[in-house]
Amino acid sequence: MSKSGEFRSIALIVYRDLTRFWKYKFWLAGQIGMNLADILIYALVFTNMVNTQLIPDYFKFFTTGVIAIAAFASAFSIGREVGIEIRREYTHYLLGLPFTRWVLITGRILGGTLRGLIYQSSFILLAALLVGVPDLYGWLLIAVTSTALSASMSGLAIAISSSTKDFNLQATFRALTYYIFFFFSNVFYPRQVLAMRFPKPLAEAIGYMPVSIAADIYRWAFRYNLEIDIGQRFLLLMVWTTGMLIIASLIYLWNLTRG
Amino acid sequence: MHMPALREDLRGLWLLVIWDLNRMKSRTLFVVMRVSWFALQVSLFGLALSAMVRFRAIAGTNLDYYHFYLFGIYTSMLFSISVSKAYDIAEEFEEGTIEYLLSLPFPRRVLALGRSIGGGVASFLFTLPMFAFIVYLLGSYDPVALTVSMISALAFSIGVVGFVLTVVLSLKSSDSTDIAFGLLDAILVRLSTVFYPALVLSKIAPYYYAALVNPLSHMSDLLRTIFFFEEFKAIAVANPDLMAAYVFGLAVGLSTLAVLVVEKAVEGGGWK
Repeated sequence: MSKSGEFRSIALIVYRDLTRFWKYKFWLAGQIGMNLADILIYALVFTNMVNTQLIPDYFKFFTTGVIAIAAFASAFSIGREVGIEIRREYTHYLLGLPFTRWVLITGRILGGTLRGLIYQSSFILLAALLVGVPDLYGWLLIAVTSTALSASMSGLAIAISSSTKDFNLQATFRALTYYIFFFFSNVFYPRQVLAMRFPKPLAEAIGYMPVSIAADIYRWAFRYNLEIDIGQRFLLLMVWTTGMLIIASLIYLWNLTRG
Repeated sequence: MHMPALREDLRGLWLLVIWDLNRMKSRTLFVVMRVSWFALQVSLFGLALSAMVRFRAIAGTNLDYYHFYLFGIYTSMLFSISVSKAYDIAEEFEEGTIEYLLSLPFPRRVLALGRSIGGGVASFLFTLPMFAFIVYLLGSYDPVALTVSMISALAFSIGVVGFVLTVVLSLKSSDSTDIAFGLLDAILVRLSTVFYPALVLSKIAPYYYAALVNPLSHMSDLLRTIFFFEEFKAIAVANPDLMAAYVFGLAVGLSTLAVLVVEKAVEGGGWK
């Protein structure tokens, strides 16, 4: 297959995944409602309780952090569909289509990435309204960070969902991964708070999780916290993304072809 | 009512409760997931939150935020697990199991009441290890407090399952059920005293009034008052008698509502 043919095939797979995205409007509405409730109720009320010496403005801290979780939640929707395809053995049909397996894998991960970006964009705009408008460099950082995070989460969701045909097991794996990323991140609490309650290695390790790194970059881009080594954070995110995409692609390929 | 008829109804009720309990046995993975979620919440999220809030300064109480949080998170877990019966019930309607249940020789009111009580008991038993873990963390083993709190938790769970039954039957769609309960869970937990006391909510009037009528506020504050009466009574959402009456009223009222809805709304194929 020529390069242009491969790109056309990838575009078709992405288009298919995007059109199916709107089919889950109920699920989307639920996710948006939950994230909005987190910002407009939980964060707003908690601002009155948090020690300002530790976190000067919890509302801004949380609003910028929740963008990272939003990318994660929406990119995971692709995992639900891949899981259904595996259970119903629809993957045999996909593998029979006239394109290579790598085209299929790239297309699926890209589809999930775009879903994550679309969903996340509303929360980025909300953060711009509530926290402040970033400058051009900030917008650029946000765009690259969101793409990298959505891509790695989309890959991760596909790898997890394709690992078993058991629906309950799929749902359990996905939920557990979600909660591990959710709680082991600095979306809800900064590193210094974690260091107060937990051993230093654990607090440090949480700071190096991809959701934490992305949250740090968003906080920097929205000028909430400028005391971050943005170059180091960006580099780390790229390392995470590359590693996770390679591993996720290999796992998905293995799961697709193991019979 | 004649005694034989009453005996038959009670037998039907018992069988339905057993049926619901048996269904919980097949949900091992669901149990694993919820227990892991609970362990993470209590051991990481709760400890981190309690490190960053200045609870004693704003609430004016000697109660530690972590202890306050433990009862809140238990209540939200009990609520979420009771609400998850909605997915089971929606699935039963889609698979036609409800038609089988309707064909059994007992009245619809027994079916509704049996499912409310059975679902409530199953959800309560499911959260019992979590409750035991919280009690262990608190180090408070007062038998009266333990008995009253467990009876309250059971009543709360029965009420929530009764409500779930009513809503599932009214919506008649698994998609709508999914979104309705996902949103309801998210909003009710946040607009309650699960994470913050009513005193903090009083700074935002609509949130405060929502918390005052929210069943989750009454349940979590009732548990806190049972275990920490002196420390908590001044900042609870209501006085203990009122909170207890609210929780038991919820169980009776919502189970009765489920009976009324089941008697009217369930017809053959009505779901489709």
